[in-house]
Amino acid sequence: MAERPILLAAGMAALAIAAFAGATQILDTYSMNVLVRSLLYAMVALTVDILWGYLGILTFGQSTFFGIGAYAAGLVFMHVGFSPGTAVLALAAGIAIAVLVAAVVAWLAFWHGASELYASVITLVLPIVATQVIFSGGTWTGSSSGLSGFETFDLSIEAWFVLAGSLLAVATAAAWVVMASDAGRLIVAIRENEQRCKYLGIGTARLKSIAFLVSAALAAVAGYVFAGYAAVVAPELVGFVFGTELVIWVALGGRGTLLGPVIGTVLVDYESAQLSGDYPFVWKLIIGLVFVAVIVALPRGFLPILGDGLKRLGRWVGLGGKTTARTATLVTAARRTVATASDGPAIRIRGVAKHFGSLPVLRGIDFEARAGELVSLVGPNGAGKTTLMRCIADGSERSGGTIEIGGVSIGRLPPERCVALGIGRKFQMANVFDSLTVAECLQIARTRIDRPSLVRRSTELALPGPAARVVATTGLDQRLATPARLLSHGQKQALELAMVLALEPKVLLLDEPTAGLSKAERMLIGGILTDLATQERLCILLVEHDLDFVREISSRVVVLHQGRLVLDGTVEEVVGSETVKQIYAGAGHHGAPAEAAR
Amino acid sequence: MTALLLDVVTTAAILFAVASGLLLVFGVMKIINFAHGGLITLGGYAALITTQLGLNPWFGIPMAALFGAVAGTLIERVVVRPLYARPLDAILATWGLGIIIGQTIVLVFGREVQFAAAPLGGTIDLLGESYSLYRIVMVPIAILLGLGIALLLNGTRLGLATRAVIMNEDLARGLGIDSTWVRFVTFALGSALAAVAGALITPLSSVDPNMGVPWLVNAFMLVLVSGTSLASLAAACLVLGGAQVIVSSLYSPVLGGITIALLAAIILRTRPQGFARG
Amino acid sequence: MTHPHPRTIGGLVLAACLLASPALAADTITIGIPVGLSGANSVVAPSVVQSAELAVEEINAKGGILGKKVKLEVADDGSGAAGAQKAFDSLIFQKKVDVLISMETSAARNAGLPIVARGKTPYIYTSFYEGRSCSPYLFVNAWVPDQQVAPIIDYFMKEKSAKTFFLVGSDYAFGRGMLAFTKSYIEKKGGKVIGDEYAPMDATDWTAIISKIKASNPDALVTSTAGGAPNVTLTKQLRAAGIKAPYGNLAVDEGTAKAMGPDAEGIYISGSYLTNIDSAANKTFLASMDKKFGSNLKTPNDLSVPQYEAVYAYKAAVEKAGSTDAAAVLKALAEVSVDGPRGKITMSKQRHAPLTMYLGQVQADGGIKLLSTFKDVDPGEQCPNLK
Repeated sequence: MAERPILLAAGMAALAIAAFAGATQILDTYSMNVLVRSLLYAMVALTVDILWGYLGILTFGQSTFFGIGAYAAGLVFMHVGFSPGTAVLALAAGIAIAVLVAAVVAWLAFWHGASELYASVITLVLPIVATQVIFSGGTWTGSSSGLSGFETFDLSIEAWFVLAGSLLAVATAAAWVVMASDAGRLIVAIRENEQRCKYLGIGTARLKSIAFLVSAALAAVAGYVFAGYAAVVAPELVGFVFGTELVIWVALGGRGTLLGPVIGTVLVDYESAQLSGDYPFVWKLIIGLVFVAVIVALPRGFLPILGDGLKRLGRWVGLGGKTTARTATLVTAARRTVATASDGPAIRIRGVAKHFGSLPVLRGIDFEARAGELVSLVGPNGAGKTTLMRCIADGSERSGGTIEIGGVSIGRLPPERCVALGIGRKFQMANVFDSLTVAECLQIARTRIDRPSLVRRSTELALPGPAARVVATTGLDQRLATPARLLSHGQKQALELAMVLALEPKVLLLDEPTAGLSKAERMLIGGILTDLATQERLCILLVEHDLDFVREISSRVVVLHQGRLVLDGTVEEVVGSETVKQIYAGAGHHGAPAEAAR
Repeated sequence: MTALLLDVVTTAAILFAVASGLLLVFGVMKIINFAHGGLITLGGYAALITTQLGLNPWFGIPMAALFGAVAGTLIERVVVRPLYARPLDAILATWGLGIIIGQTIVLVFGREVQFAAAPLGGTIDLLGESYSLYRIVMVPIAILLGLGIALLLNGTRLGLATRAVIMNEDLARGLGIDSTWVRFVTFALGSALAAVAGALITPLSSVDPNMGVPWLVNAFMLVLVSGTSLASLAAACLVLGGAQVIVSSLYSPVLGGITIALLAAIILRTRPQGFARG
Repeated sequence: MTHPHPRTIGGLVLAACLLASPALAADTITIGIPVGLSGANSVVAPSVVQSAELAVEEINAKGGILGKKVKLEVADDGSGAAGAQKAFDSLIFQKKVDVLISMETSAARNAGLPIVARGKTPYIYTSFYEGRSCSPYLFVNAWVPDQQVAPIIDYFMKEKSAKTFFLVGSDYAFGRGMLAFTKSYIEKKGGKVIGDEYAPMDATDWTAIISKIKASNPDALVTSTAGGAPNVTLTKQLRAAGIKAPYGNLAVDEGTAKAMGPDAEGIYISGSYLTNIDSAANKTFLASMDKKFGSNLKTPNDLSVPQYEAVYAYKAAVEKAGSTDAAAVLKALAEVSVDGPRGKITMSKQRHAPLTMYLGQVQADGGIKLLSTFKDVDPGEQCPNLK
């Protein structure tokens, strides 16, 4: 069962195209001239909105991809000539070069560990470099003067207007379909909490790169049409100023909405054609002031404000239909036949070390754990427990040693690839997607297994047995439509556990899953964990301070102290160990009794 | 060869002066202040006003510091403070402020290129090369600026609080440090430094509403590769500024113009900590 | 103001169009001036608008053109392509002007040409530029490299016995075009170009280039940078570096030279107009400008004076053609002459005009000393495919 918004979108796009065709009857030549450009700019603004408003990548470089499409047309038509063949060639070349450049930028900007700020600055460097390249092109690129006077498509202004309007309508409708689909939900999740996405096995850098490449291609198409229409290309189409103007239009219209940026672009660009002639500097000053005010006070832009107002008006008049929050229904996922692992250990850790600069945090850690074991990692604060968890879940973390999952080394793999090997990590602080509902959070967690559709929003939430059990026993099944931020602390912890279990991991890493929970909640979680180990044959590594809890559920205990493994044995061996007593006594007030007393 | 060496050292000094204010703001607030270019321009106009008032050109530097500090104070209170939790929005808002500063200057002073009197002119014979005196003087000035900031950070209570906020803001707040105040003072100081840089480059440059813009991207990139340390900024200015001079001299000034940005992007990709930590 | 539906935009647009009623009356002739009120040209644009206003006032005071009043429509082209498209669209299709007369950047002109062709409107371009822009609708009454370069190079070779030249430019069409011509001209005359260097168009740091100039120690230096900041910074930094070779600046105008103060002293400049041209027409023109604009007067220059003359050229062409019909006017424009501040000018050479060029040197007080005059310098082969 799935919803198909695609038909609705196609209908809306057809309606919009009909409206554009109708408008040619009322509009004069001048207005259509101005609007053709505005509509094409709006198409680029739409790509800025997808990247920034939906995905969280603030980009100043979309102008460059627009310019690449435009210059592909300009250069081919100027130097090769215009024919149907060269027209196709130019379009293909424009898209190909835009995608290629976007791939280089994506390689520079999106990688595990790159900050948002850094990615943004890279997109700022792009138009600056691109402008320099065009300036240096001499008569071939027309340098600062651009290229003009090449032959191009012989279309009437009405045809251009309908063409630009149709492109924009189709692009907007397509974007709407994607944003309403499973993939759209994923995009929001990446913006909201990229780290959690990575540890859910989602290659966020790759997805961001794909979105960036698609946006570049779309912008190039708009640029190509622009050059065909205007019969001129100039360096400013590629440049930084245009790139930032696009961001302004999107911000004013409403980032994270699709119509907002489109309307914002068309209105601001059209009005500036009217007003800037008389007061060019005052006009820019006003745009600057409004822009800053919107960013500070109305970060969502104008359209959502208007939308809220309309909704309120509708409710006041009594027209507003009840918005029924539809949510996915829970089903049990088909059990995947996992190739039965060899009877080797589920996880094997050999000589793992980690140091920050010259400060060692972990030294020579060696141990193994098998499927069905529940191994607790204990030790005073600063012993390196959480650091060890991090080293297991992210191949780039450790400074030395090897870690194997089911016999496969994790090498230097990023977290999302470690997940693919069978690792599931739950963080110390409940780490969920605050703005998504419980059902959506769980659907995101299934992304690695149930490929999200680009055009449909799935109405089923298929969870594997263990995850479904956590959801059912903690009462989350009654709250599937509740936004995660409204859950209690305990429910958030349970939700995150269910999300990690939805990954169907072989090795489960849990960092203090019961911290801050009530006694009853702790009991519940403890029961679930032992079941997971004994019945589902999961290998569980647990960092825990509460030694009573550890004693109740663990099959084995590993003691860390000052970055070294000091003991690896059964619960009884550890409890009876003199070494352990000394460690905890020596650690003073950080000791176990204090922790256990919480 | 001597000329090349002097070019490298003086270019690095100018870049250091231009980027130091940005570094301070980035260190404490973790935002890139896009209004930096506007503030540099403001400093240039402070120098212009000094000239128009018939004052000694050196007086332009404290004048610029005052202009920058006042503007920084206003910007921090009205625009940056509400955006602490939204760093990307802070970038955008400060960029909008850059537009506002630029257009206001256009409305007040006009678009045209203007001229501030230079405090020093002429050439000096150094290592057998006659070289622009003012460029040479920029080197001790940049060193003084660097030492001054270092002294402020390491020798005062405010400096201690600032360093604490740079390292770990939550912890610093927990220890009773008023991080809002630290941010406020830092932003004002960073803005004053930007304006001082603007006044300092006027003898080499012109005074016009866009004079700060060409410096902006290079300053960003230098700060990004330097992290939060003045020493690594100095190193970055020498290495990347040097690369710019060498590429401009040996290959082409056009390529030289984008050398800093390109090299910095590649450095950050392959060595995310940049020049920080050795 | 916004409503999330495309059709509403159509409505708004329609309303906006109705409000902006095109000034179209049979008894007026409308001249469109797309010009860079903002952007790179915004410093010089006001002087261009002023001289056009004076020309229109004078013409109207004497009964207009063919008895019709003349009216100006000014639009900002933002000194670039995108702004120019809006400006040209607005002037041609909304204001329905009879002719376009303007000083613009090359990017703006190029962006405007396809629109001019679509609207079939005559267009007189009044800015010096890198040359070879050709369109059946375009006439140019300002200089191209072929006309400007010779006076300076000839003077340096003859009077300063310069053999070796160093060329510096901004990396843009005008800078490259000027210096490419300069280089070939120097080589043709037996001189040697020992260096030609370009910096990015917005560059204000010339360190590396200056070090190269010092190292190669040329007999003379010729620069062609973007106007404004790049030009000023290059001059200042050259002076600060103590470079003493004769220095011809192809991009500086009188006003900037004056504002630059002592740094500008000794610079050689070449152009088709200097304020101290000793002719009755120029003196009358300056007096009228002074009278009309008083303290608001922007100093007339080599960009604003061609604008003034172009309005008269259009008047002459309409009167010769007997109507404002585009084809007839375009035919007449190549034939009529204007006797203005720059002397007698006819756009008879492949849509370009032979011009009298002046070589001057900036003095300590900022004034320009006229060194020599070159009569009717030919623009060379600009548009061999147009007559």
